[in-house]
Amino acid sequence: MIQFEQVSKVYAGGFQALKNVSFSLEAGEMAFLTGHSGAGKSTVLKLISLMERPTTGRVLINGHDLKRIKRNQIAYARRDIGMIFQDHRLLMDRTVFDNVALPLLIEGYSMSEARKRVQAALEKVGLGDKLRHYPMMLSGGEQQRVGIARAVVNKPPLLLADEPTGNLDPKLSAEIIKLFEEFNRVGVSVLIATHDLSLIARMRYRTLTLKEGRMIDDGLAEESA
Amino acid sequence: MSVLFRARQQGAQQVKISAWRRFVTFWLHHAQQCIGSLGELARYPFASLMTMAVLGLSLTLPATLYVIVKNTDSVGANFQQASEITVFLRQDLNQQQVSTFAKRIELNEAVAQTRLIDKATALAEFRERSGFGEALETLDTNPLPDVLLVTPQEEHRSPAAAEALLQELKQQREVDEARLDVGWLQRFQAIVQLVRDGFLGLALLLCIAVVLIVGNTIRLNISSKRDEIMVMKLVGATDAYIQRPFLYTGLWYGIVGGVITWLATAALLWWLSGAVRDIADLYDSQFRLTGLNLAEMGVIWALAIGLGLLGSHIAVRKHVRAIEPQ
Repeated sequence: MIQFEQVSKVYAGGFQALKNVSFSLEAGEMAFLTGHSGAGKSTVLKLISLMERPTTGRVLINGHDLKRIKRNQIAYARRDIGMIFQDHRLLMDRTVFDNVALPLLIEGYSMSEARKRVQAALEKVGLGDKLRHYPMMLSGGEQQRVGIARAVVNKPPLLLADEPTGNLDPKLSAEIIKLFEEFNRVGVSVLIATHDLSLIARMRYRTLTLKEGRMIDDGLAEESA
Repeated sequence: MSVLFRARQQGAQQVKISAWRRFVTFWLHHAQQCIGSLGELARYPFASLMTMAVLGLSLTLPATLYVIVKNTDSVGANFQQASEITVFLRQDLNQQQVSTFAKRIELNEAVAQTRLIDKATALAEFRERSGFGEALETLDTNPLPDVLLVTPQEEHRSPAAAEALLQELKQQREVDEARLDVGWLQRFQAIVQLVRDGFLGLALLLCIAVVLIVGNTIRLNISSKRDEIMVMKLVGATDAYIQRPFLYTGLWYGIVGGVITWLATAALLWWLSGAVRDIADLYDSQFRLTGLNLAEMGVIWALAIGLGLLGSHIAVRKHVRAIEPQ
């Protein structure tokens, strides 16, 4: 599903965020990406979601070299990737419904079809009754779940999450992770970047570890052991 | 179209919507975004109206100048038609010779008509109108010459042709002096041309100003929605999709701005019409200001809309592209 081949990334200021990183994630796999802040977790996610381009090396998704994706194709490529952020990036002046419906309307769904799907996605995250609420009226955990509903509403085969539990207490965090597990169970590949080691410890998922831009553990050796 | 997952069917295809339905949906979305941007403008009516008024009033000046030039042209045409050659005959001619001369000139193919003002009539008229009546009584003889007013044929009324006719008349034995004041006509035409060129340059500058103002307003609009645009890009919106509401905003600026131009121009002309009527009355003229006709209003509207769209297009091209999610 995702394949990094000796990827390095140097930012404009000369900061080297990734050094020769190689790993691959199979279709239908769920994995954690961990490391201290500044280790390069976000850069990995940005390279997958085409927010950044690698300085050297190749990033492939489903066998497609992202280098070949032209600027005007990026929007279409992102429709295949559901993204979840620590700050959930909701539009505060729009209702929950409008927020979740956004990817569908962009893709050209009719309003009636979009309504069905948004309802289904919100039911899934347990917010079926909050359609007309504004994000400000919801708790942090609920806002994060709206973000998740928006990421999965058009059923992308790949889900990326950047510190999805960053602002949440352990109980809410566990609920969020449970949601990801449910999506993973129906075949969605999930990559979650987090520095919450206690969260990872409770799960038995593959864990990739970055340190100062290098992949020090791709989680495979441990699994076979 | 899925770029990364060929087998994955997306959106409209997945729910099996026909090409026709998708075509309809496309235009429906356009209509929604069009109405949506109007709603957005209505949320800040004062700010929106200010921009529209700037656009409208900026175009009012060229529109009014255009109307003035148009009216000046029609006045100029009247003047040109009035071009008349005044022929002063020699004092020593008798009445017989004068009327023979008048008839001969009338037969000239360049001449449309002639009017003879004999010296006695001229003196009577002068006495009546000038207020020198008593002074004239003291004169022994009539100092005024017989005068023949010659109106050239239609095709001989241009300054050059009239000048040629004037020269021909001057050659006549009976003629003492002949006058055609083409000088003022030429000067008048030159001034009209100068005014027209000046107005054109001014109009062009104002149009550029309109584009810049709309562009800047849309730019501010875009940067105030920076976060929203970022989120939309993250969930897969194309630049074209994000740009559309802003382009519609420019369109609405043009539509309303054009109407403001009509109203302001009409108001300005109404304001001027009283003064123009007074001047026309002083000249014994039936001249009245003609406002914009339907076709001209259409052109102004199209211009306003075009400028609004151009301004917003320049802004979105540059600034929507520049916003990238981080």
